[in-house]
Amino acid sequence: MKFNGNLFYFLTAFYFIDAAGYALWWYNSNGGYEPIGTAALAMLGFMSLFLAFYIKNTDKRQGKVPEDRLDANIEDGDSEIGYFAPWSWWPFFLSAFAAICFTALAVGWWLFFIGFPLALVALIGFVFERSRGLNAH
Amino acid sequence: MATATASKSTYGTSKKTKGQILVDWITTTDHKKIGYLYLITSFAYFLIGGVMALVIRAQLAAPGLEIVQTKEQYNQLFTMHGTIMLLMFATPLFAAFANILMPVQIGAPDVAFPRLNAIAYWFYFFGSFVAVAGFFTPQGAASFGWFAYAPLSNTTFSPGLGGDLWVFGLALSGFGTIMGGVNFITTILTMRAPGMTMFRLPIFTWNTLVTSILVIMCFPPFAAALFALGADRRFDAHIFDPANGGPMLWQHLFWFFGHPEVYILALPFFGIVSEIFPVFSRKPIFGYKTLVYATIAIAALSMTVWAHHMYVTGSVLLPFFAFTTMLIAIPTGVKVFNWIGTLWKGSVTFETPMLYSLGFLTTFIFGGLTGVILASPALDFHLSDSYFVVAHFHYVVFGTVVFAMFAGIYFWYPKMTGKMLNERLGKIQFWLLFLGFHITFLIQHWLGVIGMPRRYATYLPEDGFTWMNQVSTLGSALLALSIIPFLWNIYITARKGEKTTLNDPWGYGRSLEWATGTPFPRHNFTSIPRVRSESPAFDLNHPEAAGSEVQTAGKKKD
Repeated sequence: MKFNGNLFYFLTAFYFIDAAGYALWWYNSNGGYEPIGTAALAMLGFMSLFLAFYIKNTDKRQGKVPEDRLDANIEDGDSEIGYFAPWSWWPFFLSAFAAICFTALAVGWWLFFIGFPLALVALIGFVFERSRGLNAH
Repeated sequence: MATATASKSTYGTSKKTKGQILVDWITTTDHKKIGYLYLITSFAYFLIGGVMALVIRAQLAAPGLEIVQTKEQYNQLFTMHGTIMLLMFATPLFAAFANILMPVQIGAPDVAFPRLNAIAYWFYFFGSFVAVAGFFTPQGAASFGWFAYAPLSNTTFSPGLGGDLWVFGLALSGFGTIMGGVNFITTILTMRAPGMTMFRLPIFTWNTLVTSILVIMCFPPFAAALFALGADRRFDAHIFDPANGGPMLWQHLFWFFGHPEVYILALPFFGIVSEIFPVFSRKPIFGYKTLVYATIAIAALSMTVWAHHMYVTGSVLLPFFAFTTMLIAIPTGVKVFNWIGTLWKGSVTFETPMLYSLGFLTTFIFGGLTGVILASPALDFHLSDSYFVVAHFHYVVFGTVVFAMFAGIYFWYPKMTGKMLNERLGKIQFWLLFLGFHITFLIQHWLGVIGMPRRYATYLPEDGFTWMNQVSTLGSALLALSIIPFLWNIYITARKGEKTTLNDPWGYGRSLEWATGTPFPRHNFTSIPRVRSESPAFDLNHPEAAGSEVQTAGKKKD
């Protein structure tokens, strides 16, 4: 994953330099500073930095994985890839109830009081659907 | 490869009732099925948005027409046409292709978060419905233009429920898009098959990764801006109040989303044609690495050019944004160079997917050229908000999204359904679409140059716009007709299409989806071939070519 981390470090550098360049250029031609664009670009820099840091750190802890080795064979990977939910009702219900809540913001609070409890139930259902308790797999 | 799936059988042990099929689709967490849902829904919105466009063109067919009864309705039509085409057709279409193909191309059994994937789809489904539901309210849908400039979008100038529904519907659907983006990034970073290094990923997967990064960069500011606008409209906040510089704040925030958004539309479709050119030229993609770096460069730069939509406000840094905008032409040029390099001296054949990819290339290059014209502030001051701009962005967006969409559908249809679409109908459709599109939009460049402004419901005979508008309207009818052979094609293919069970029906497929069953098995693979280059399926099916050009693609050491 060397390249993944580097990709985000590259983006970090790019956006910080870009934000600085933008701010200075603005200062040079108009005086003062332009808060919206400068802030937005700088925040892109911070976001890229977080991602880069996380990916690099994970990479370091993990060591070299087969998907980054040029000579890896398929059987070098984990035989157990993970658990994939075969089907689930919760995404549909959670989204439908979320939609009621969002519509309520446009229509009126009374609808929110119907939608919010339903969405809460669906959210809990979604989160705990495959849960078997803490630290149990 | 073992995947622990609970014991619900998806293979035809017994015939399912209609209700079971419906429940299967609603509760699905299979990335391919969710992809098909995206594909079908977004195509339905494409048809709805297309009908709106036809009404708009009919209204403009002659001066002084009243096909649309009120000017307000006309405003609603172009607002919803833009909203639907960008946020309910093109953006989910990216999710459609990425969902169907990306996990297969990297050799994964599914995406990293299957249930989150389903949520992303249903957020889009319900959010879009809420946003267009304004049409069912007495005052009609939103009518402030798809970029909702403040103060026009506040309740003083655009009262009514339609606008509120638009704001909150798009916010919901935007959250779905963000979740989809996070899901794709995680999948590509963590679920590649052994040996599938980053520089062996197919170009389409690369573009999915880069597009998803763009999504998580630019959709959150948009969601925030929408909530702020919603607070203004519903709860008397004064965030976008002109008294404290609100209009500029909105324009900055909106275009900070809006410009990367058009690259979100473009990049995955660049990826689709990058998959198709090598297959029908019988050559590996020319300059794989430069193509990847060009994609990253386009994405990085696209976040820094937003204010070129705001030249005429007079309060943005013109030279900065002109410079960054023109800079994007370089990586884009690199891409075009690579595509042409792929075709160069290849054994090119013109099956329908290839035809559409070439249609994409010509159309997109044209739109790119007018983009450079618009990037220059001196020219933009004359052309801004005229039909020249309308022509430009239709060339860019229609050129990439629609042409590449049909290319992708024809190309991967056998993998999705196990049947080949009819080639003859495909070619008829291509020529209707190609001619219809260019007749409709080429003339609009000149309309813009002689001064026809966009978004006006009608014009005067003295303006001299009449004959050009008639040409354009005629073209749009042809364009609309081209959808009929396509729908007919889908229908007869379902009825009596040519079945195929070959892993690689086109014969020269390169990435992993051509090394698995047709149609895809439930978790994509029964066995994965060894990955030694960016074209594992080609290496598997054409061992005779090994040692020559195949070996040159991809990196030699870690």
